[in-house]
Amino acid sequence: MAALSGWWDDFFFGTVMVLKVFAASLVLAVIFGLLGASAKLSRNRAAQVLAKAYTVVFRGTPELVVLLLFYFGTAVVLTRIAQIYDPQIKFVDVPPFWAGAIAIGLIVGAYMTETFRGAFMGVAHGQVEAAHALGLTKGQTFFYVRMPQMWRLALPNFGNHMLSIMKDTALISIVGLEEIVFVGQMATAVTHKPFLMFMTVALIYLAITTVITILTWWLERYANSHLERVR
Amino acid sequence: MNFDFNLILSSLPQIAAGLGITLKLMAYSTAIGLVLAVLILLMRISGRWYLTWPAMGYIYFLRGTPILVQIFIIYHGLPQLDFVRESVLWPVLREPFGCCVVALSLNSSAYISEILRGGVLGVDKGVNEAARALGLSAPQRFIYIVTPIAVRLALPAYSNEFISMMKATALASTVTLLDITGVARTIVSNTFAPFEIFIAAALIYLAMAWVFQVGFGKLEDYLGKYTKRGASA
Amino acid sequence: MTMRKWVLSAAFAAIGAIATATAQAETLRVGMECTYAPFNFRAPGGEMSGYDVDVAKGVAQLIGADLQYVCQQWDGMIPALLTNKFDLIVASMSITDERLQKMDFSVPYRVSIGRFLGPKGKDLKLFDDKGKPIQSSFKNLTVGVERASTYAKWIEAKLPGANIRLYDGAQAMLLDLRNGRVDVAITNPMKAYLEFLSTDQGAKFEFVSPAIDEREYFGTGVGIGIRKGQEDLVKRVNGALKTLIENGSLEKYGHKYFPFSISPENWKGVGVN
Repeated sequence: MAALSGWWDDFFFGTVMVLKVFAASLVLAVIFGLLGASAKLSRNRAAQVLAKAYTVVFRGTPELVVLLLFYFGTAVVLTRIAQIYDPQIKFVDVPPFWAGAIAIGLIVGAYMTETFRGAFMGVAHGQVEAAHALGLTKGQTFFYVRMPQMWRLALPNFGNHMLSIMKDTALISIVGLEEIVFVGQMATAVTHKPFLMFMTVALIYLAITTVITILTWWLERYANSHLERVR
Repeated sequence: MNFDFNLILSSLPQIAAGLGITLKLMAYSTAIGLVLAVLILLMRISGRWYLTWPAMGYIYFLRGTPILVQIFIIYHGLPQLDFVRESVLWPVLREPFGCCVVALSLNSSAYISEILRGGVLGVDKGVNEAARALGLSAPQRFIYIVTPIAVRLALPAYSNEFISMMKATALASTVTLLDITGVARTIVSNTFAPFEIFIAAALIYLAMAWVFQVGFGKLEDYLGKYTKRGASA
Repeated sequence: MTMRKWVLSAAFAAIGAIATATAQAETLRVGMECTYAPFNFRAPGGEMSGYDVDVAKGVAQLIGADLQYVCQQWDGMIPALLTNKFDLIVASMSITDERLQKMDFSVPYRVSIGRFLGPKGKDLKLFDDKGKPIQSSFKNLTVGVERASTYAKWIEAKLPGANIRLYDGAQAMLLDLRNGRVDVAITNPMKAYLEFLSTDQGAKFEFVSPAIDEREYFGTGVGIGIRKGQEDLVKRVNGALKTLIENGSLEKYGHKYFPFSISPENWKGVGVN
């Protein structure tokens, strides 16, 4: 146990890094999920096909492979794209934090697409018709009528997606992000106590996922509170 | 940097060499994971606190921590403990393949037991009561009535978990196993063409996922035969 | 429709803001493993430490640049350099002909050698008197080697049928050697001597082969890796390294960690002063 002392602050900073990546990935995943869901639900054939391809590819490819692809590949692709606009640019780099956040965002976004799609379909169509009758624009309907009702239906699965994001962040250590798994590896290199170090990593993750689970449960209660009072 | 289509095609057969290990990993982990899952499920729904609580703790830990960390604990961490190295399990844990099977089985068993529990909870109470009225004992009810219905209900979620486990096998490459991802990473380190090689690896995984999806679809159709309208004569 | 357009453009703007275009940079990004003691590793205090780190700092000071460390797993080190993750590789990377086809190197700043480690007292007889490996002795042995390393290349060429395990890092390999997952391992003898054999982790192990330094696989030594097309940078780095060699700094850095000399000129062997 004494071996851990001296590494506490490294684990602390690693945990902060995990939370930062989690936040970034979550935002990206929600954006991609909403984009994908609206594409799948739209009447535009091209959008539907694109969204289908998106969900199939990112739900069927291992997270590690997507991550490695993004870490090494995007720099190349983005550089070529950037050079079209400004030939002066020598290179464009995507640091591991963003390579990881985008990769996880895309992967869990694909799962969220399905969740949001199901939840949107669960909102009674009469609501949309009523909004239309009242003169709300499509945008207003989306934000004020459909989204709030969709969230309640999406919450249980959304909670699971949040847990997935949290656990996927561990993979970014493989491309050099200094989060807690990487700290665990560095600590092992110096202390030669892998069981202790990786158990610590596991317990930190467990603590965070517990918090997320409690948060989701609380959010579910809040979102459904308007239904509970009817007894 | 040029994008080399030919490299994708030419590396596919090489990367497919890792397919054998990936499939073996999946086969062992699925089988053992299923057995463990049923065990944990029975413990979880037994109603006796000394069985339910350990099962819930097991599920809580394995679902709350990343698979990568679980693999590292089993592969790197366990040998640190002397008693592990002298135990009966050492021949299994000594090999990276064994460690990955243990990690993947444990992890998927936690998820599958919850999925099966969802299936069991979804069985109509009336069916269970009717069976009781007909005089079937609790074990008989569970095996002949509840299980077939629960399996059908759980199948969609199970197929998702199966695909997740397929994706998790890629992590075996972090502990020296030469599965699809392991072979791909080795080729990348020799050819310095990460983009093309990882796309080729992704294509192989996608092909596998597609095959499994079709298989599960057929299974769902077969099990759901009697629920389709107009199916019965 | 407008909502979707807004979200799309916001997404693209975000991605554009993330990607950083660099043209100035007298901040040089240095790629290293960060887990390869005593060459490049993170000390418990949080500082990057090691022989490679000292060399990098010394060079940076002489050419007037700031350093930024980027941690990278070994097998992705060269792809990462080529895709501009960093500007220099200072990670004990050997200068081999194969690598010179894809990238440039500075002059060597450390000798490059491989050696086998194995359990004590087993009398393995892996090499004959002329220093050539005996194929049959390796038949029932599992050999640990780091992926994408010069040791891996040597084994591929000299012991093609050997039962090898490819590791992402030396640390995991040495741990597995201690635990009996692999029977022998081939790696950097300097690191092995300092970090393994002299510690209680490696008390039951020893070198079981002579030092291997065939030019073809181990090259002329270890150098600083730089992307092709930056001759100016190579010149400046070489100038700095030569200064460090001449004023004895390189020797000093080496002796901070090793009781013997590790520079190409003064190398006599592990444990020999």
